[in-house]
Parts: sequence; structure tokens; C-alpha cells
Amino acid sequence: MKTLQFLLAIWKANLQSALEYRVSFLSQMIGMMVNNFIYFAIWIIFFDRFKDVRGWGVGDMYITFGILASAFGLVSILFGNAFMLSDVIAKGRLDYYLSLPKPVLLHAISSRMVASGVGDFFYGFLSYALSGYFSWDGLLRYVLALLLAATVFAAFLILTQSLAFWFGMMNNFSALALNAMLTFGIYPITLFDNYAKIILFTLIPAALMGAIPAEFIRAFTWQSLSQMLIGAIGFIGLAVFVFNRGLKRYESGSAIQVEV
Amino acid sequence: MKTVSKYWSIFQITLINSLAYPGELIGRSLMIIPFMWIFYQLWKVTFAAAGAEVISGLTLRDTLWYLMLAETIELGRPPIARTLSENVKDGSIAYILNKPYDFLWYQFSAAMGETIFRAALNALFGGLTVWTLVGAPNHPQGFWIALPAILGAWILHFCVNAMIGLSAFIVEDVSAFTWIYQKLAFIFGGMLIPLDFYPNWLQAIAKALPFASAIYGPARLFVTPTLELLINVMSLQIVWILVLSFTLAFIYRRGLTQLTVNGG
Amino acid sequence: MPAIQVQNLQKTFQTKRKAAGLGASMKSLFKPEYGSVEAVRSLSFQMESGEVLGFIGPNGAGKSTTIKMLTGILHPSRGAAKVLGFTPWLERQSLAFQIGTVFGQRPQLWYHLPAMDTFILFGKIYELDDAEAKKRIQFLSEAFELQDLLDVPVRKLSLGQRMRCEVAASLLHRPKLILLDEPSIGLDVVAKQNIRDAIRRMNQEEGVGVLLTSHDAGDLEALCKRVIIVNHGQIVYEDKVSSLKRKFLTTKMVEVRYAKEVAKDFSIHGVEILKVGRYGVKLKFDASQTSVDSVLAHLSASGDMADITISDPPLEEVIAKIYEQAKAESVDKQ
Repeated sequence: MKTLQFLLAIWKANLQSALEYRVSFLSQMIGMMVNNFIYFAIWIIFFDRFKDVRGWGVGDMYITFGILASAFGLVSILFGNAFMLSDVIAKGRLDYYLSLPKPVLLHAISSRMVASGVGDFFYGFLSYALSGYFSWDGLLRYVLALLLAATVFAAFLILTQSLAFWFGMMNNFSALALNAMLTFGIYPITLFDNYAKIILFTLIPAALMGAIPAEFIRAFTWQSLSQMLIGAIGFIGLAVFVFNRGLKRYESGSAIQVEV
Repeated sequence: MKTVSKYWSIFQITLINSLAYPGELIGRSLMIIPFMWIFYQLWKVTFAAAGAEVISGLTLRDTLWYLMLAETIELGRPPIARTLSENVKDGSIAYILNKPYDFLWYQFSAAMGETIFRAALNALFGGLTVWTLVGAPNHPQGFWIALPAILGAWILHFCVNAMIGLSAFIVEDVSAFTWIYQKLAFIFGGMLIPLDFYPNWLQAIAKALPFASAIYGPARLFVTPTLELLINVMSLQIVWILVLSFTLAFIYRRGLTQLTVNGG
Repeated sequence: MPAIQVQNLQKTFQTKRKAAGLGASMKSLFKPEYGSVEAVRSLSFQMESGEVLGFIGPNGAGKSTTIKMLTGILHPSRGAAKVLGFTPWLERQSLAFQIGTVFGQRPQLWYHLPAMDTFILFGKIYELDDAEAKKRIQFLSEAFELQDLLDVPVRKLSLGQRMRCEVAASLLHRPKLILLDEPSIGLDVVAKQNIRDAIRRMNQEEGVGVLLTSHDAGDLEALCKRVIIVNHGQIVYEDKVSSLKRKFLTTKMVEVRYAKEVAKDFSIHGVEILKVGRYGVKLKFDASQTSVDSVLAHLSASGDMADITISDPPLEEVIAKIYEQAKAESVDKQ
């Protein structure tokens, strides 16, 4: 409960400081929505010409892109610093969070809000509404799937960025991992053979952020729900575990400090 | 002559500077590998579903080499808009201004210096990936024919991105403009789907816009290196370069007169 | 012709205003309020060529804004200025060939490359012949003792070494005037001394004019003959450094050491005794009230003097005094 109050206070402060740059805030939010719309237009063109990719149609794309955008947006809003965690670690700035009496990981990742995330978050709902699959119980499933997909995404960020505890600055790797996650999440999952799919559930869990939630939103199945639940719990557990192992290393002073 | 050698040495120093962290440089270029792989998956399935060897004049192999060059042009260019807008916002434009050179030519030379190795590595990794997946390009010599068009493409990118960056004189935050430009280039430049696959009306619009000159033109020239296409691509590119560079120069002069640098 | 001539120069910036709290943030999102800040109010001064002029003031006094206007980076809101005969903001490039600039907090050297690379680049930028540039680099590297530093990537140099390279780089094209903005910021005592020596030497040998901003009084004492003190965008004091001392520094400190042990009785009228020992004494007095002569006479009568030092308090105190006075005056006006 105390932790929740603390998070609410941080989020409020983040929002306030984002509003401090009002033009920036508005332009990032609206700009991101326009940006997403233009990007998606290319898929509309694609499916207009080629109809479907092994049974995956444009409606599926709308939902997949929607859930991906919303999950990405939610993490950007609430845990925006997760995108920069490796920087925080490698430059020794965890000291600050360690000196305060709050959960280190939670405090560190929630300390920044990415304003454009607001645009992503809302755009996702819009994309779902336009998909042709919209229904009110579907919206409920959308919200549930959104929370689980965001959990997987946050866990993925924490995992990849925590490697900085062992390898120091690795901006390129983090960017590569993030790009791979988003790209593989958007593309029709029917493109991939079984080997590739194994990767999309494990190493780069893009399926748990895009295709599976999309399947669940379209129609309830126990299979997709359990996949998402197990995925979310498993990944967040793993992420917290790895982060804490790294933190031990950090506290013992052996985390790598890279010369800038 | 001295003016030329001034900007040449700015180009040189950024070129050397871009090698200061080779690991960083290589790491960034690896990004093209998953992109090319996923493009391969998408187009392999699509060509198979269409049951055709050739779609709108392009084979699967052409399509992938086309996309490789398109990605190389796009991933090779440095984030000029961001650099310039940061220069404007944090006031460091001031410190670049107090030397006897033209600010825009300085930025252009520096941007080109930063581009060369980035692009070369992207072409290397992207090329190796595509080669492994679909085999050698049909016209390897097409690269040399496309080269002037690639340079022209970067000039166009520079003009547009510098305009976006300089808009920081009036707006607080230009990142939205950079995303939107990137996405417009993505769709109207044909970075996921070659413009040839678009419906005719959209193709006509896209080919007339500068995005096509900045991406589609040189990439298409690479896979279809004909004299006719070369003349076509280059002449359109030159028109756009003239229009956009004059616009940029105009905007810069306007911005400069109302320049307010932060801090005091 | 004076190197710099400034008349009623003024610069106003627009800034956003906002009250605290989420409600106010929301409100300002849709209906922002603007206010204006007068960074430079009305500045007039003149600097002769070859002069070393100190431009002193606390943070936010308008020093950097003034320098930016004098280099043509910033257009003034009102007023006129000539630098080496050019109007800076209209003839920025022509002026740039004639002046050099160093901004203590904005390094111009390429961070990842050896300073030599930047020197060569600057040679091209200022359109020097290769041979000429080479000779000049040679000369500067001796004058600034850079011989061992030029081939090391700048990031590996100490701050003091880096700053010496910065100043040397700004002199590459033999400017008639250099503008140094906080050149000694963050440096230790020895590094500061090195920089000052090099600047003084270049001023004496090449006659290059130096306009120096700093909030370190030591820079002034070591380099400048004349000083302008600004606060809140206005000149609060302008005079020679020496007369600045004379006017505001009437207090003298005297320290005497005697050859033999002396009696501890030093009570002189109008003199404050700071410290007394068996062999010496340290005292302070106001020279406008008590004459230096009478104090010295009294001291020499007490025994054989082995050593004597007469000194002024540090300039920091003087400037603090001037600020206080200016503040008090502005309060009076209100």
C-alpha cells in the first residue's frame, strides 16, 4: 500500500514535469499518433494488394499493432526510465536509488515519463476500434491483455538492460533488442516457422506482446490467456531475479564503470 | 579554393571522429540484419502466395536487394534534425557560429563525414545477409550507377532534416516532426514495399514527392541500372535538391535574424 | 580606433511563467503566460585595442549575453556596438576572422581526437596556408607549453591542459581581439597561473586585446588594468583595477618580523592588532584615517625590522562591497 502511494506520487511528479514543457508534451502526444497512423498506412497498402499472409489479414494487423502500441505506451508512461536502465546502471547512478528507502528497481524505472507514450497508449485503442473486431467484452479483454503485454514488455526491457551489470555500457545492444522486439511483434506471426516461433516466445518474447494478446482479444481462449499469464509472471519473475543478482554485484563494487 | 578545403577538412575530421569508437559503430550497423531477415520472410511468403516469379517487374531477389539499399540509405544518415535542434535549444549553435564558416555548409560536411562509415557497414552487413538468403544481386555494377543517386539522396535528407532541426527556433520540440518525416519517407519512399507494388494512383503521387528521390530512386536504380532510369532519377533529384536547398537557406536566414540563444 | 564600442546595448528574453502544482501545470498547458527577463539593460562602454579588460559579475549578471552580442551570435533588442569596426550581428563572418573566442564551459576542441587535429581544422577554417599554420602551431605550442599534449586525445588531458589548448587554438589565426568567457573556471591554482601567464604573454608580445569575463577576482588582479563590474545587466562600476583598490581598499594589512625579540606592546591609535608574537606582529588599519607613515614609524621604533609586508585584502572583498553598495542604492531608489 505504501509502495503504491509512493508510485502514485512519482507518477504525479512525472506528469507535472512533463506538462512543464507544454508544447513539447502536446506535440509529442499528437505527433506520435500521427506517426503511428502513417506507419500503419503501409500495412493497409500491403494488405490491399496482397489480401492476407497465410490467413493473417488486415484486421489482425489492426489489433496486433493496437495492443503493441498501447503496451509500449503504458510502459513509457509509467516506467519510462526502463528504456534507460542500462545507462543508469553503467554510469553508477543507481547509487541515488540505493540511498533511498524505496524498492530500487521500481523507483529507478518509474523515475521518468516518456511523453510520446501517451500518444501510443491512446492510438492503440483507436486501432482496436477500427479493426472491425470491436466489441464491448473485447474491450475488457483488450485491457486485460494490455496489462499482461505491458508486463512482458517491461520485463524484457529490465532483462536486456540489466545486462549492463555484467557488461557495462551497451546502448547498441539495448537498442537492437528493443527494435527486434517491436519489429517481430508487429509482423504477422504466420510468417515464421516453428523454430522462429520458439524464439518469439522466449528470447525475444514478441509473440506475447503482439500476436497472442491479439488472438485473445478477438476471441477468448483458455490457451491464449494461460500463455499470456504464464509469460507475464515468468518474465517479470526472471527480470526481477536477474536485476537483483546484478544489484548484488553492483553493491559489491564490481559492476563495470565505463569511462565516458 | 580555400573555402572548399575548409569544408573538406570538416568532412575529414568528422570522418575520423566517427571511428573513435569502432565497437559502437559496428554495433549500430548490426541492426540491419534482423530487418533484412524479416523482410525476407515477408516477401518470400508473399511471392509464394501470389504464385508469381515476378511482381510488377521485380523478382524476390530484386525486391530484397532493393530493400537492402533503401535501408542502407536510411540507416546510414545521421540524426541531423536532432543534432541541429539540440544545437539551437542548448545554445551551442552560438559556439558553432563564431567561426568564419557557413553554418549550413559546416553541418552538411559534418553530416557527410558521419554518414560514410555508417552506410558502408550497413551495406556490408545488409548485403551479406541478403546474399546468404537469396543470392547475389542481378547487376552488381548497378551499385556504381546508383552511387551518385545515393549521394543525392543524402543531400535531400540533409535539407529536410536540417529544416526540421532549425524549426527548433520556433517550436519547443521537433521530435514529432522527425518521426513523421521518417514515417513519410518509409511509406512514400517505399521502404517496406517497393513503390511499384502500390496501386497506380498512389504510385503516381509517391513518385512525384521528394521521398521517392531520397529512397526509392537510388534503390530501384541499383536493381535496374538502365540509362533511362538513371536520367529519370537524377533529373528529378536535382529539381528537388534545388527547391529544398533554397528553402532551407531561406529558413536559416529567417531563423538567424530572430535568433535567441538560451542562457545569459 | 577602439577595439570595442558599445552604446546602450540591451537584450530582453521571453520566458514562460507558471505557478506550482498540477492544476497550474494543466492550466499553463492550454493558456501559457509569458514574462520577460532583461538580461542586459543598457550597457555602454569602450575598450581600446590591445587592452586587457575585465568584465566581472556574479552569475546571471548578463556577461555571457553581452559576449554573445559582441561576437554576433545574438541580436540585441536595442542599442549599437562596433567590434573592430564591424557591427557584429550584421557582419558575423567577417568579424569571426579577426577575433578568437574561448568559452570555459563550451570546449571547442574535438573531444575524442588529439588537439592537433582540431588545430589543423581551425587552420583550414581560418583559411591559413598549410605552412603558415604549421609555423603558428609550432609557435603556440612553445608559448603555451603544449609540445607533449598535442598528440594525445583531448579526453585524456587534464582540465588545465585542455584549457591551455583551447586558448592556444583561439589564437591560431592571429586575432586582434580574443574574448575569453570564464577561462579559468574549475581550474586549480597552478593551472590558473599557467593560463594567466600565457594570456599575459600573448597580450604583451602580439598586442592582442583581451576581453575577459570571470567571477574569479584573481584573474583580474593578474591580468587586467581596467575592470567593468556588471550586475543585473547594468554596469555598477568601471575604472582601473588600481583605482578600484584605492577607492574601495583603504584598509591595509601589515606584517612585520623583527630580528630580535621585542616587547609585545604595539598599541597605536587607530590600528587593529590581529596577531602578536615574540618576533613579530600583524595589524590592520584604515589608511584614510591613519597615515601609513606614522604606523611604519611606530613599528620601526619598536626594534630592528627583518621583514615587512604591506598588502591589500583580496579583490573578492572589494567586489562584494561594490555589490552591496549597488544593492543598497537600488533599494533606496525603490
